[in-house]
Amino acid sequence: MRTIPVKIWIMICSVFLLNGCWDTKDINHRSLPIVMGVSMFGDQYKIHLQIPDPDPDTMQVKIVTEMGETVSKAVDKISANMESRIDLLHVKVIVIDKELAKKGVKDLISGFMRAREVSPKALIVVSDEEIEPFFTHLKKTTDPQGTTLFDFFDKDAGWNPQIALTRVWQVYRSIHSYTRDVAVPIIKSGDSTGVEHLGSAVIKNGKMVERIETDETLLVNAFYEESTYGKVEVMDEATVMIVNNTMKHNSEIIDQIPYLNSQLHLKVVLLETKGNPTEKEIRASLEKLLTNRFNEMFTKIQESEADILGVGQYFRTKIQREKLKNWRSKQYPNLKMDFQVHVVIQNEGQLKLVAD
Amino acid sequence: MDRSFHVVLMYLLIHLGLIFFLYPNDIISSSDEGHWMPIMIGFLVHFVFLWIYMKGLSFFPKKNIIDIYSEIGKGISTFFLLPVFIYLLFVDIIGVRAYSEIITIIFLSNTPSWAIIVLLLFISAFLASKGAEVIFRTGIILALVFFPIIFFVLIASFQNIDWYYLFPLIDDDFHFITSPYYLKSFSAFIGGFLFLGFVTPYLAYNRKKVLTAAMLLIPFFLLAVYIPVLTFGRSTASTFLFPYVMTVDSTYINWLMFDRVTMFFILCLITFIMLQVSLVLWMAYQIMNHWIPHKPVYNVLALAIGIFITSVMIIDWKTVEKLLWLNSFLRFYVIFTVPLSIYFIGRRREGRG
Repeated sequence: MRTIPVKIWIMICSVFLLNGCWDTKDINHRSLPIVMGVSMFGDQYKIHLQIPDPDPDTMQVKIVTEMGETVSKAVDKISANMESRIDLLHVKVIVIDKELAKKGVKDLISGFMRAREVSPKALIVVSDEEIEPFFTHLKKTTDPQGTTLFDFFDKDAGWNPQIALTRVWQVYRSIHSYTRDVAVPIIKSGDSTGVEHLGSAVIKNGKMVERIETDETLLVNAFYEESTYGKVEVMDEATVMIVNNTMKHNSEIIDQIPYLNSQLHLKVVLLETKGNPTEKEIRASLEKLLTNRFNEMFTKIQESEADILGVGQYFRTKIQREKLKNWRSKQYPNLKMDFQVHVVIQNEGQLKLVAD
Repeated sequence: MDRSFHVVLMYLLIHLGLIFFLYPNDIISSSDEGHWMPIMIGFLVHFVFLWIYMKGLSFFPKKNIIDIYSEIGKGISTFFLLPVFIYLLFVDIIGVRAYSEIITIIFLSNTPSWAIIVLLLFISAFLASKGAEVIFRTGIILALVFFPIIFFVLIASFQNIDWYYLFPLIDDDFHFITSPYYLKSFSAFIGGFLFLGFVTPYLAYNRKKVLTAAMLLIPFFLLAVYIPVLTFGRSTASTFLFPYVMTVDSTYINWLMFDRVTMFFILCLITFIMLQVSLVLWMAYQIMNHWIPHKPVYNVLALAIGIFITSVMIIDWKTVEKLLWLNSFLRFYVIFTVPLSIYFIGRRREGRG
């Protein structure tokens, strides 16, 4: 007699367990966009979604557009007009119009974080041209899976060290953080390639305030010890490949003025030379090139009071939290930065260099 | 027979379930800097009361706290047990309601919360009606299956940390002690160990092992708070309702299966919560059975239905937070009176004998 109730228990249990999902929509009733484009017209958001459309024979990429007061409103409208439900779970790249970036993306980013529809890991990118032509071009050049843009930023695929990688949560952090801003890649549709990388937008408190070049973004990445592996530097004397980079920082406050000494240690491999430079010359030239480039960039971002390098972090032990709130406006503009590059030529390839 | 392993595992599971959801937000909101100080003070309170409680229980081998109180007299036993009973019911109501809401906030946004409450309560009530042995054996299975995942997620969540956010280390004005958030955070410290006084007739355990397990929890308390702080910084982390869940969400693992690693993590912890709910239900049933003896199935069913009705009546998250705050008074009352009274009753009996 004892076994019967147990069986019934188990059956009832499994009925409840199997009902664990509510209102489920099957995967073939869902559309999973990969890229989202956001621009603003007046007080309306305009949303572009790039949706791979799996056909039995060929994959097609669809682009749908809608306007709305908020992003979710626009997405809702698209959803209502489509045969399947839009599910933003797999959005990998969010392209923001330059004008919107200049106006500020605080609400947009907070919305993404709050609703959790879009993964906080999605990448944020600024488009230098209007979203409309950008997406049209993307559709033309993109591969059937529609992952071109995502692959472009994927570390295991098309990513290069001069491209900044910034995710939704990092932009959100920069909006609330006292000491940290972000660099976001700027792209436009390319002529021969699908996308063209133009450098980075400096986003301070959710607003785009400055632009930096591709080469300067490399230094930002180096500052964060994002591997610059494989990056080729061209100088007058030679071309080298960077194989390793590490950073060291030393911060000090003297008479209320913050001083930061940062040392970038690079290991490079020699690829090509012009004429007969010595090892010393190549090293000196590379060090000079990078130092000048860094100083130029740093002056620019310091003037815009945007701390994309997170320099303020190194002063956390030295400045009280109360004062740290005004880091960007009070202390950061006075910061004296001493940037040094130390280059080690790891090897010079198959050929010997001229002796010193 | 020594069943320390069962008891220690259960102790760890319950606390892990409590640590990662509400606790980080409470601590981060209670203090601007040096979060390790509130954590360690809370832990010290936990450890001291745990010690007193177990020391008191050791005077009465093979007796649970209901037996101990009823030895003294009917009036006193009701005086001590009634608050405990109400407290346990509150813990279950708030727990079931809060975690069903957490599930809807984090992923099942379309599911009505009563459905989740039914699921949570049904499995817990089933376990509770089967008795302590079954709950503890389930605990072992859950631990074996889910501990590796928890560790994996913990290690993965170190991905984006910046050690500079650790500073400043010292918060010198101790204003956090009076913060309501801090008092609420004690639910993670002192909600978990009452069960040690209920299981003594069924499972014998070694006190030293439980104390060692308590020490093992320190890193988890610290990590739950510090990983979000180190990833986002205090000012950003304080804007999140569940900072740790957000941190797990922002870790990038280049492997499709782990694209939403948060899901694995949360589901593991929810099973721990179910276990805790069933254990609390079982304890409440023990007290109820002392007053109104019935078959376990009927008592547990009555309790579960009561809990279901009350928790469905709570309509929004604001009310849940208010109840959590109100419950902290009852929690402090229970946690001061029970271990201390058991200890003194034990000492007096020792003196007489």
